[in-house]
Amino acid sequence: MTRRTEGATILAASVLAAFGVTLVNLANSGTLDAQSGLTFLIFVIAFGGLYLAARAWAPRSSSLLIAPVAALSAIGFLEIYRLDPARAALQRWWLLIGAAAAALVLWLLSKGTTEILRRYRYTILLLSMILLLLPNLPQDWALPLRGLEVNGSRLWIVLDLEITSLQFQPAELAKLGLVIFVAAYLADHQHALRQAHRKVGPFQFPEPRQLVPLLLTWGLSVLILISQRDLGASLLLFASFVLLLYATTGATGYLVTGGFLTVLAGVAGFYAFDHVQRRVAAWLQPFENFEDAGYQISQGLFALGSGSLTGAGPGLGRPDLIPNAETDFIFAAVGEELGFAGTIAVLALYALVIAVGLGIAFRSRDTFRKLLAAGLSFVLGVQTFLIIGGVLRLVPLTGITLPFMSYGGSALVGNLVLIALLLRISHEEAK
Amino acid sequence: MNGPIRRLALGMFAAIFALLGAVTWYQVIRADDLKNDPRNARPALSERGKERGLIVTAAGDILAESVSDPADPRNFVRVYPGGPVFAHTVGYSSFLLGNTNLEAAYSDDLRSRRDLTISDLVAVILGRDLRPRSVEVTLDADLQAAAYAALGGRRGAVVALDPRTGAILTSVSSPSYNPEPLTGDDADAVWNELLADPQSPLSDRATRELFAPGSTFKAVVTAAAIDTGIAGPETEFPDPVEFDLPESDATIANFGGGDCNDGVSITLLRAFVVSCNTTFADLAIRVGATNLGITADALGFNTDLPFDWTIPRAIFPTNALENDPAALGQSGIGERDVRAAPLHMAMVAAAVANGGEVFSPYLVSRVFDSDGLTVEEFQPSSLGGAMTSATSSILSQMMERVVTEGTGRNAAVPGIRVAGKTGTSQGAGEFPNPWFIGFAPVENPTIALAVFLEGGPDLGESATGGGAAAPIAAELFQFWLRGEQ
Repeated sequence: MTRRTEGATILAASVLAAFGVTLVNLANSGTLDAQSGLTFLIFVIAFGGLYLAARAWAPRSSSLLIAPVAALSAIGFLEIYRLDPARAALQRWWLLIGAAAAALVLWLLSKGTTEILRRYRYTILLLSMILLLLPNLPQDWALPLRGLEVNGSRLWIVLDLEITSLQFQPAELAKLGLVIFVAAYLADHQHALRQAHRKVGPFQFPEPRQLVPLLLTWGLSVLILISQRDLGASLLLFASFVLLLYATTGATGYLVTGGFLTVLAGVAGFYAFDHVQRRVAAWLQPFENFEDAGYQISQGLFALGSGSLTGAGPGLGRPDLIPNAETDFIFAAVGEELGFAGTIAVLALYALVIAVGLGIAFRSRDTFRKLLAAGLSFVLGVQTFLIIGGVLRLVPLTGITLPFMSYGGSALVGNLVLIALLLRISHEEAK
Repeated sequence: MNGPIRRLALGMFAAIFALLGAVTWYQVIRADDLKNDPRNARPALSERGKERGLIVTAAGDILAESVSDPADPRNFVRVYPGGPVFAHTVGYSSFLLGNTNLEAAYSDDLRSRRDLTISDLVAVILGRDLRPRSVEVTLDADLQAAAYAALGGRRGAVVALDPRTGAILTSVSSPSYNPEPLTGDDADAVWNELLADPQSPLSDRATRELFAPGSTFKAVVTAAAIDTGIAGPETEFPDPVEFDLPESDATIANFGGGDCNDGVSITLLRAFVVSCNTTFADLAIRVGATNLGITADALGFNTDLPFDWTIPRAIFPTNALENDPAALGQSGIGERDVRAAPLHMAMVAAAVANGGEVFSPYLVSRVFDSDGLTVEEFQPSSLGGAMTSATSSILSQMMERVVTEGTGRNAAVPGIRVAGKTGTSQGAGEFPNPWFIGFAPVENPTIALAVFLEGGPDLGESATGGGAAAPIAAELFQFWLRGEQ
């Protein structure tokens, strides 16, 4: 795709968002209002701006990333607008902030290269750990920065300013920092990691000493699971790390051990926590637990089934019947109103973004950049699979956002920065 | 490193394909099951607040109408100006309880097809009408109201047909309920209250409940007897106090005990006019189950009548009666296992009135669009001849004698020739169910009806068809043919 067609596609995605808003307005009130124009404007500014930033500061970067991300954001946005116009208005601001943050990252990295991230890996690790643990701050102390418990999970921090209060999920940024650190760490130790292997049956297992980082990450994930009750972030972190370890070493033993540890933590969590038990019950028998834990998943499936092939149309379905439709269940909302056609399009767009990300990793010569690109793509892929798979009952539901589509400012900012990093790597690795 | 990355990429795409498979499963293969799951509120909610078409009579009386919701002008609420009088025919359209009766049977016509999709736009451009269609019913609003008033809250039903076409002029079941509260947010509570009412106002006694027809069934037996030549009006029968049922210790007695005529002999005509049980038990056995079954079937018994909702089959168990003369004797007076809804018995009266030809009863005459243009028109549909026209004219004369000098005198209307047959069938416990079937005017019948009252303490143990049901028929004949009450 040339830069010109990329620009045209971004424009088309902006039109898609505005058209979606128009249809929702028509369905609800039968009138048109300024929301359509405003949405178009914000999308053009956000993604057009990111496009211009990429042209300016990463001119040789892949031209296949921004457009599908814009399209995903547009589809997600029209459902958020349909479910909660007030939140959609906020989401528009977050879109601008996220695009600005991504452009800022592109500008900063254009002063040097991504090597700078590798150099400051321990600082980044420290910052990420602090970010991860921030939600554990007391909810009720005097400082303006506080933790916040939502639905039994501690994922949020609140920054109380005089005029307003901002809520943020720091894990969404921390996951980027952790991927940067892990990629740098693995690039440093790749030889040691790759040499010490021992074959057990068909699997290659690393020396016990080399398992220490794996166990440490696992420990961190379990800690998050226990202290913040965040199944999704914990699983995402651990899975991405295991996949990166495997990518570095090619030792299938990491996958086996990682899978074993995941199951171990899962089983222990099942017996230790009520909310894990409820999630498993809802996963296996949503309709039998309709009145209780299975309600959300059942409603999600009703939404998908009612949407059928072509969907009810924007604003004409009832995705508002699904609890938390604009965050966890945005995929089901798309399925209800845009139908099978919409869900296939969404899956294809994710496949495209992940394929482009992995392609960048594949073509990178520098080990750190290769592992970073791969790690970022894994994070996107695993996160997408976990939440959509949760809605579709392939895996237990983990309260995690769908990248680019769910309502949520921190996730949007984090994922747009992720795209900026991929853009920068592809620029640096382009011949 | 590219080797593992390639394998992981394949793994990721396998995962996306798994998602694709799962979404296909839920949105394509299992979509209908999920959509129609009773716990899925979407189908009902989607109808809420939408405009639906009119349900009107040919004379223009509106029975169901969507009007703008005063609380939210973009929404419509359904109103039923006829209230309880038409509840069992028109039904209701409730987003909580679903649709019933005509609201259900014609829902696809009545609902708006406009749902603001792209295909709508195409349809509008092509000039298709997406506005809700309306349904015109055969009911006469005034006659229906008169019948409901005549029942006076007692448990029972009136069905009146145009014998020449099968058009239903009245189908009313009492007591009834007001359909409007069932369309709102409190529908569940109102419904449960109606369900708990011992008078069971939700039951449609006119078309969906079967009762023993009692002596009104003697008209069917007589038609079969004359048709087969086994007996005529002047055929003499013995006149015992009790008829000994063959192959059984049981006997059949006459109403009030005693004989029917002189204790020696009685003509079939006389037996019909005074509703003599012993004669008809005897006659039924003489005619035989097979012949009786043929006539009953032709009159709509043991048949699924094509209708807007499922009408239970009226029962005449021909096969079971072929080798059971005792039971056949009891069936001859409309007891034992013989069952019919008032609608079926109105069809019997209509067949006699219409020279023996039975028309399938129908409630909707046409469906028309928002411009008043007919979309679909329903023609009367004949079920064929149930008896020869000679038989029907003999039976018609016999039924007229019932009203002029027999058990049906209360159905008489001065100046109008009325024909009919009374019945008093066994009901719950000691309380009999009064019946009356009939038609008028005899020389050119324009109305055939069945009046049914469900026995109970309110009617008493000595209620009879002639005493309780025939006066209602008289009122309705008078109203229909004279336009007065």
